[in-house]
Amino acid sequence: MNLTLVLATLRQRFTSPLRLFIVLLFGWMPMLPLLLAPRTGFAALGDCYFLALALAAGMIGQDLSSGTLQLLLARPVTRAQYVFSRWGAVAAGTFLITVLQTLVAALIMALRGVPVPWGEAALFLANGALLALGTASVMALLSSLAAGIGDLGLLFLVFISAQVLEKVGMFKSWDWLARGAGELSGALKPELDLAPLLHGGPVAWFAVVSYLSTVTLCLGLAVVVMNRRELSYASSGN
Amino acid sequence: MDGIRIESLTKTYRAGQVRALDGVSLEIAPGEVFGIIGPNGAGKTTLLGCLLGFLRPDSGRVSIAGREPDDLAIRAVTGYLPERLTLDRWMTGLDFLAYHHALARLPATGRAAEAQAALARVGLDPDAGRRSIRRYSRGMLQRLGLAQALLGRPRYLFLDEPASGVDPAGVVLFRRLLDYVRAGGTTVVLSSHQLDQVERVCGRVAFVKQGRIEALETLHAGATLARVLRVRGPAGTIGEAVPRAALEQAAQRAGAELREVSPPLARFAVPDDAGAVRLVQALVAAGVPVAEVAPEEGRLERLFLEDGPPGGPA
Repeated sequence: MNLTLVLATLRQRFTSPLRLFIVLLFGWMPMLPLLLAPRTGFAALGDCYFLALALAAGMIGQDLSSGTLQLLLARPVTRAQYVFSRWGAVAAGTFLITVLQTLVAALIMALRGVPVPWGEAALFLANGALLALGTASVMALLSSLAAGIGDLGLLFLVFISAQVLEKVGMFKSWDWLARGAGELSGALKPELDLAPLLHGGPVAWFAVVSYLSTVTLCLGLAVVVMNRRELSYASSGN
Repeated sequence: MDGIRIESLTKTYRAGQVRALDGVSLEIAPGEVFGIIGPNGAGKTTLLGCLLGFLRPDSGRVSIAGREPDDLAIRAVTGYLPERLTLDRWMTGLDFLAYHHALARLPATGRAAEAQAALARVGLDPDAGRRSIRRYSRGMLQRLGLAQALLGRPRYLFLDEPASGVDPAGVVLFRRLLDYVRAGGTTVVLSSHQLDQVERVCGRVAFVKQGRIEALETLHAGATLARVLRVRGPAGTIGEAVPRAALEQAAQRAGAELREVSPPLARFAVPDDAGAVRLVQALVAAGVPVAEVAPEEGRLERLFLEDGPPGGPA
C-alpha cells in the first residue's frame, strides 16, 4: 500500500461536494431514530454498507475514464499498490465515519440518560470495519472493470441477476441454482458477524473462510484486471 | 547502455486488425533529445505508450538502461507529459506538484519548496499555485503538467505534444526548459506536430508513418538559424556579376549565413522573420538585384509534403 495514494484518495473522496452530501446522508440519517428511541442502541444505526458504496463508487473507474491513471502509473507505483491503496483508503474512510457515528450515538445515549453499551459499541465498530473492508474489495473489482462510476451499475446488475436466478431456482426447485445465486448475492456484501464473540461463543469457520476468500478473490482479480489493462488512449482510439 | 533501445517492436489493436507499430527498431543515446513526428494515427502515441510500459507490445522489446520500461527503478527517474493531459482537478497546483513529488519518491524534506520552484520554473506565479486546478486555463494546465514532468530532474523525459495549447511565450519557455534538462544529461523523447519546435530542439528525429519508421533525420539541435530563404536575381547577377564574397558580406551584416550559391539562386539561413527582413535590406544595400525571395520548407516539413522520403523504410 502506498501512503501518499491512500491519503490522496481520502482527500479526493471527502472533498467532492456530491459525495460528501451522500456520505452525510447515509452517515447521519440513522441518528434520527436513535434520537427518538435511544434505548434501541447501536442497532438503530444499521450498517455502513451504503456509506462504503458512496465512498467507493468510481474508486478506480474514475481514474480510468479521466485519464489521470496514466500520469499516476508513470510514477514508481505498481498497479497492485494502486489497487490496494484505493481499497485501503475507501475502507479507512468508511471506518472513520463509523467511528464518528459510534461516538455521536454514544453521546446521544449518554445525554438521554441511557447507559452506553460499550461492548455493543465495540461490536458495531468491528463489524463495521469488516464490512467496510469487504465492500471496498468488491467495489475495487467492479471498478477495475468499468469506467467512471460504472461499478455501481455492475453491482446493481449482478444483484438483480442473482435475485432473479435465485427465484428461478426456487420456482424450478433447482437447489443448486438457488443456492449459487444466493451465494453470489451474499458475495456482493461480504460481512462477518462477530456477535458470537461477545457472548463467549466462536464465529463459524465457514463464515470466516467465506468472508476472507471473497475479499482475497476480489482484490486478486482486481489486480489481475489492472495488470492486464492497457493504458494509452491510443489503444482505444485505434 | 543507459539509453533507450527498441527492438522490432510490433503492436496491434482490435485482435490484430489494426497494426499501430510494425517492427520498429531504434536506439536513443543517453542525453539525446529525440523527436518523433508523423501524421495522425501514425503510431507515435502507441510508441510512447510502449516506452512507458502502458502498452504491451505483441512482439519485440523495449529496454531503458537495460531494464523493462515499467521497472520501478526506471519509473523513479522518469518524467512524463501526456498529450491528453488530465490532472486531479480537485487539488491546487501546489498540492498536485507535492503529490507527484511524493509519488516519485523524492525526499520529503523541502517538498513544499521544490513544488514552489517547479511552479516558478514553468512561469506560474505562487497565486496560481494556491488556486484549484479546476480554475486553470488550457495553457496553465499544460505548464503545470510540464512542471510535474520535470520534478526531481528526471533522467528520462517523455513528452507528448508538450507545447500544445501554450501561448508563444510558453513555447519559448518550453524550449528553455528543454535546454535546461538537456544540460543535465536527461534523455528526452518528444512527440509533436509542431515541426519547427522539433527542428529547433531535437538532435535526431524519426518520421513515423503507418507504424514504421520511414526516415531518421539528424538535425542541429538548438540551431539558431532555423529558416532558409532562397533569393533569386536576374540572370547573370547572383553568382556571376555579384560574386559569392559580396553575398557573404551582406549575409554577415544581417546576422545570416550564406549556405549555397547556384546562379541565379542563393540560399541563406536566417534566425526568424526579422532576420529575413535584415537580410533583404542588406542585399539591396549591397547592390544585389533581388528579383524574388522565397522561404524554403524545413527538412521535416519536406518529409510530410513528400509523403515520406523516397527509398522506403529506414
